[in-house]
Amino acid sequence: MEDQKRPDSETIDSVDIDYENIDVARIMTQIQKIVAGQPKRAAERGLQPQEPGQSHELHPYAELVPGAAPAGFKQKIKAKALKMMAPFFPVIRLLALPLHEELKAVIQELHKTNQRIDAIDQKLAERDKGQEYIKLLHTLSHNLVMELTKLRIEEDALKSKVRVLEKDLEFLTKRERALEKQIVK
Amino acid sequence: MKIAFVVQRYGLEINGGAELHCRWVAEHMRQYAEVEVLTTRAHDYITWSNHYPEGRDVVNGITVRRFSVSRPRRPERFGRLQNHILHHEHTESEELAWLEEEGPTSPALIRFIQKHEGDYDDFIFFSYRYYHSYWGISAVPQKSILVPTAEHDPVVHLKIFKSLFRKPRAFIYNSEEERTMIQALSRNEFVPGLVVGVGTEVPSAASPERFRQAHDVRRPYLIYIGRIDENKGCHKLFEYFLQFKKEAASDIELVLIGDTVLKIPAHPDIRHLGFLPEQDKFDALCGAELLVMPSFYESLSMVTLEAWAMGKPVLANARCDVLEGQCRRSNGGLYYENYGEFRQALRILLASPRLRRILGDNGRKYYYANYTWDIIEHKYLKILGQRGAGA
Repeated sequence: MEDQKRPDSETIDSVDIDYENIDVARIMTQIQKIVAGQPKRAAERGLQPQEPGQSHELHPYAELVPGAAPAGFKQKIKAKALKMMAPFFPVIRLLALPLHEELKAVIQELHKTNQRIDAIDQKLAERDKGQEYIKLLHTLSHNLVMELTKLRIEEDALKSKVRVLEKDLEFLTKRERALEKQIVK
Repeated sequence: MKIAFVVQRYGLEINGGAELHCRWVAEHMRQYAEVEVLTTRAHDYITWSNHYPEGRDVVNGITVRRFSVSRPRRPERFGRLQNHILHHEHTESEELAWLEEEGPTSPALIRFIQKHEGDYDDFIFFSYRYYHSYWGISAVPQKSILVPTAEHDPVVHLKIFKSLFRKPRAFIYNSEEERTMIQALSRNEFVPGLVVGVGTEVPSAASPERFRQAHDVRRPYLIYIGRIDENKGCHKLFEYFLQFKKEAASDIELVLIGDTVLKIPAHPDIRHLGFLPEQDKFDALCGAELLVMPSFYESLSMVTLEAWAMGKPVLANARCDVLEGQCRRSNGGLYYENYGEFRQALRILLASPRLRRILGDNGRKYYYANYTWDIIEHKYLKILGQRGAGA
C-alpha cells in the first residue's frame, strides 16, 4: 500500500533513488559525494557535524520538556498525572538529590574513562605510525646499502681502468723516448 | 570422457570455499563424464596432517583417490618463510621452498598424475596456490585446466605463479576481476579461459518464521554468513556496526552464522548462532533485511550468490574488487569502502524496503542468468570440448 503511494523516485538522506531504473553505481556515486563532503574527521569516523552541546540522541524524557506538546490519549493522561503530582515535585526533587549527585559523579568518572580511552587510541595510532616509519626506514637503508655496494663496485672498476691507462701511458712515453733516440742518431 | 578433479582436500565435512566448489562441480559433471577426484588425506587446512585413509573411496557416488601428505605443515616455519618471501628480496628457489612448506606436500599424488596421464582426458586443478596445482600442472600441462580461485592475496605476485599461469591448456575463472588480475600478472591472454563461477543449491522453500522462533530473533536483522575471521573483514564489520548503532536510532540486529576464530564483541545487538544446517541457514537468510559481506579477499562469494538467489540485497566491502564488480554488474547491492559509506548505504537500505526489494530482484535475475547449474555445466562442457584448440 505504502509503496503504491510513493513516486518512482525518492530522496533518502540526500540520495536520489530512481526506482524505475535502479543503478547501483549512480547511488554509490551520490553516497561517495555525500561522505566526501563531510568534514574530514567526521567522515573518517562517520559522524555528522555536530554543534557544541548538541546530542546525537533525543533526550530520554523529551516529552516532559515544556513546550513539547504531548499527543494522543496516553500522553494526555500522562500530562494530567504530572499536573496532579506537581505539588509534590519539590519533595521528589529533594529525595532524588543524593541519587542525582551520585549520577553526576558516575558521569564524571565515565567521562574521564572516555578521555583515557581516547588517549590510548591516540597512542596506538602514533605507535602504528612509528611502525610504518620503521618499515620505511628499513626499506630506505636496504636501498642505500644496495646503492653503496653498486657504487663501490663501480669505483673498483674505474680504479682498475685508470691503472691500465697509466700503464699504457707509461709504455707510450717509453716508446716515444726510444723513437726520439733513434731519430737523433 | 574421463576427468580428474585435483584438489587439496575433499570430503563431505569440508566446507572450505574451493573444496566445496570442487565437490559441487564434480558431482554435477558426473552426468556427462566419468569423474574421479584426486586429493590428499588431509582434513585440517592448517597442518594438512593425514586424516582420511589412503586409497580409493567413494563420496556421493564419485571415486576419490587419496594420497598421503609426506609431512605436515610446520606453521612457524611456514610463517617465517612467508614473511621472508613477501617482504624481502628472494630467489625462486626460496619461493619453491615456501610452496613446499605450504603444502599439502604429496609427491605420491604428483607421481600418480604423471603415471596415469593417459588414463584421463583432462585434469581440473582447483586453487593455484597449493603444491598439488603447481607440480600437477607442471606434470601434465597439455591436459590441465586450472580453476585458480585467486584473490588479491600478496602471494599471487610470486614469480613461480607467473610461470604457472602460462602453463595450463585452459582456465576457468570465478569472476571477471579474477581474469583481469591473472592476465595482468602473467600476460597469459593466449590461454583460453571462461568466467564460470559456481552454482549453488537453493532450497525450494525457506521459512523465516521457523528461524525466528528457533533462535528467538524478533527484531529486523542484517546477516553475515561464513567463517568469522579477521581475514574476512569481520573485525571491521563489528566496528562499523557498533558505531552505526551508536549513531542511528535503529533497532536492527546483526546475526552471525558460522564458526568463529575471532572474539565477537559482547553486545545485545550482535547475535552469534554458530554453524547452522543448510536449511536453517537459508531460513535465516530469507528473513534478513540484507546480507552484509565485509570480506577483503574473495574470488567468488558463494554466500553472496545464495543471498541473490533468495532475492536478498547485499551490502559488500568495495575494497574487494570482485564483490564491488558483482554488485555493479548485478545491480543487486550497495558497497562501501569506509565507515561513512557503510553508514550511508545501510541507512538508505534500511529506510527503503522498496529499494531492498528491487536490489534483491536484480540479484535474483543475475543469479538465474549466470549461476544456475545448467549454465555452469554448459560452460564446463564448452571448455572440456575445446581440447586441442588451445594446445
